[in-house]
Amino acid sequence: MSWQRLRTLLRREARASLRDPFTVGILVAVPLLAMVLFGFVLSTEVHGLRLAVLDGDASPASRRLIGDLRATGAFTLVPVRSRDEIELGLVDGRLGGAIVVPPGFGRDLAEGRTPEVNAIYDAAEAVLAGNAEGYVRGVVAATGARLAVRRPASGGGIAVVTSVLFNPTLAGVPFMVSGTFGFVLSFLAVLITAVTIVNERMAGTFEQLQVTPATTLEILLGKLLPMGGVFALDIALMMLAAGLLLGVWPNGSAAFFWIVSALYVLTTLSMGLIFSATSATAAEAVQKTVIFSIPIVQLSGFAFPIRNMPGWLQWVTECFPATHYIRISRAIYLRGEGPLDLWPELLILAAFGALQVTVALRTMGART
Amino acid sequence: MTAAGGRLRGWLSRVLAVAWREATLLRHDRGFVSTIIAQPILIILLYGYGLSNTPANVPWAVLDRSQSAQSRQLVQDIRHSGYFLAPTPVSGYAEGHALLRRGAVLAMLVVPAGLRRDAARGRARVQVLLDGSDPLSAARVGSYVAQIAAASAPPRRPAVREGVAPGADLPGPVDVRQRFTFNPRLADRDFFLATLVGMLLTNLCLSASSLGIVGERESGTFEQTLALPISTVEIVLGKLVPLVVLGYLVLLGTLTLQGVLFGIWPRGSLVALLVVTLPFLLASLAIGVFVSSLADTSAQAVFITVFFIMPSFVLSGIMFPYELMPEAVRPIGGLLPLRWYQIALRRIFARGGGLGDVVVPALAMLAIFAVLLAAIRWRLRPRLG
Repeated sequence: MSWQRLRTLLRREARASLRDPFTVGILVAVPLLAMVLFGFVLSTEVHGLRLAVLDGDASPASRRLIGDLRATGAFTLVPVRSRDEIELGLVDGRLGGAIVVPPGFGRDLAEGRTPEVNAIYDAAEAVLAGNAEGYVRGVVAATGARLAVRRPASGGGIAVVTSVLFNPTLAGVPFMVSGTFGFVLSFLAVLITAVTIVNERMAGTFEQLQVTPATTLEILLGKLLPMGGVFALDIALMMLAAGLLLGVWPNGSAAFFWIVSALYVLTTLSMGLIFSATSATAAEAVQKTVIFSIPIVQLSGFAFPIRNMPGWLQWVTECFPATHYIRISRAIYLRGEGPLDLWPELLILAAFGALQVTVALRTMGART
Repeated sequence: MTAAGGRLRGWLSRVLAVAWREATLLRHDRGFVSTIIAQPILIILLYGYGLSNTPANVPWAVLDRSQSAQSRQLVQDIRHSGYFLAPTPVSGYAEGHALLRRGAVLAMLVVPAGLRRDAARGRARVQVLLDGSDPLSAARVGSYVAQIAAASAPPRRPAVREGVAPGADLPGPVDVRQRFTFNPRLADRDFFLATLVGMLLTNLCLSASSLGIVGERESGTFEQTLALPISTVEIVLGKLVPLVVLGYLVLLGTLTLQGVLFGIWPRGSLVALLVVTLPFLLASLAIGVFVSSLADTSAQAVFITVFFIMPSFVLSGIMFPYELMPEAVRPIGGLLPLRWYQIALRRIFARGGGLGDVVVPALAMLAIFAVLLAAIRWRLRPRLG
């Protein structure tokens, strides 16, 4: 390996890939778009869910209950006059749920009986229904307790005092932000690299490189390092965007996170190189990337906790570097862990990286 | 034969000629054909078997300072709810904190020494520490524990049944009778599979059509087509016909696979589903063609497509409920065909809707298609150089 040749290659690749403003724009804009989209748009708190209210009692007690439901901010209340209206609204999706207060609700509470409130949810939106249920139940229990003259004999029920660590408000944004790095670096980076490089191959410049005295390793590094540099810059920009726009800064060391991410993206870029080296057209490179990367991203814990998967599938997820990277990025961003806590995961990630680069070398070598 | 009829016949034969040529090309693209077959299978299996938001296998720790029958009962009750693994016993806060910090457990239950005494006075309390770094799981786990604990009492076993929201029959000042319409078990699988076909068709339509024209421009065959006695709109429609047929094949294949593997069939009208799919396919394909007409190289076409698909999936309500998004962003969803198709799919799949329920989404998607077609016509005016 000659440093001088590598330097020449690096300069050539950087010029070739970054020559047209469109590609540069994409390289910067897509990761930022992903960050803002996932971080800003997705929250885990319900707000503005349309909840029909059928108040069959119209007493101070029922109005109090309805007022308390409105006060949570989770619901937009829609007064209705009949059960038919509720059914209709649920079928065409205008309502997310409904609450029916029976006649005599206030009187029953005042006289120590247990009134029965009906709650109906549109569970076609399963996630939403699950969240809304918690709110409704909490409000009904709290309001009921305040209005009831005496508590019913509840036997040995145990009250639970909950405290939440690391993210006391249970805000969804930090969780999504820390996962989005994994999505961008494991999928978008691969896709962009694969397509950019296959385009060069179509232009015929790749074959010319292979007849120069440069070794495969030098060609590989010549391709990887400029792209890696761009993505290292992207990671820093994404961290800034997350911090300035979404208010999420890493709890752990930002420098440590940046270094781990920049090294990780070099290994995923080598995947992009493999896909482009084995494809003849941009379309083929895209198809390969999507087929290989989508399951990896879906199973990596970015959108769905790995814990919730069946046991055998959890083992499969351990075989994807993205899983380990997302675990590390969440640990640094959310729990502030450092290299000492994370070294086993870092080692696994390094092993995967070495494997991917080796495969990329062999794939490109085989093409010579 | 009237003149108008003859014109229509000529128009149809030109469109179909282009369609035939496209179909032949597609059939021989092995990478494309295998993607079309592999992708739906892969994604259905993933969502059907693997992915879920419902907490399961939750690792937790117990700091039991009471060591009483009641505390053991509570631990048992939590375990038997089916959401939790066997607890890790810890001997102090520091140890539990370390586990939470490492992410080794998601929750820690602390039972105070005086639980029995407190229980006798009717003031039994326990503490739960949650790892809030995964807020969705933390919130649900917290409410499960609270509900189980509220119902936990030594003399009678609480009725926590699997699949039913736990604590449905707790004692309290007000009874809440809950009903989950359309999806009684609140299963994530039903939620995802109802709209999965929208995701697959978006992928198919955009990737197939966006690379079409730009690829031909790169290889120079598009100019040849333009030289034919045929209008731009006819070329575009002809290109769309085989992809529409393909879209329907993917739709039927996906429905069959979901039904056979997971028993999830559309509850509403199949006719309505087939009808509303046409404007969706047309609008999605038109987006691809438009992208293709904007891009100079296929790499650019891919990037613009990704730029479009990502917000489509996020903003359409396919994966994340619409109501969880900030109000300011929601109107953007109305510009995306997938948003409207998602509405139609949920109405038909989950809520048992019919033709009448999908008129508005269908019209909205047709409007999007019409606007795009006009834009494509403007972009693809025969140009030289």
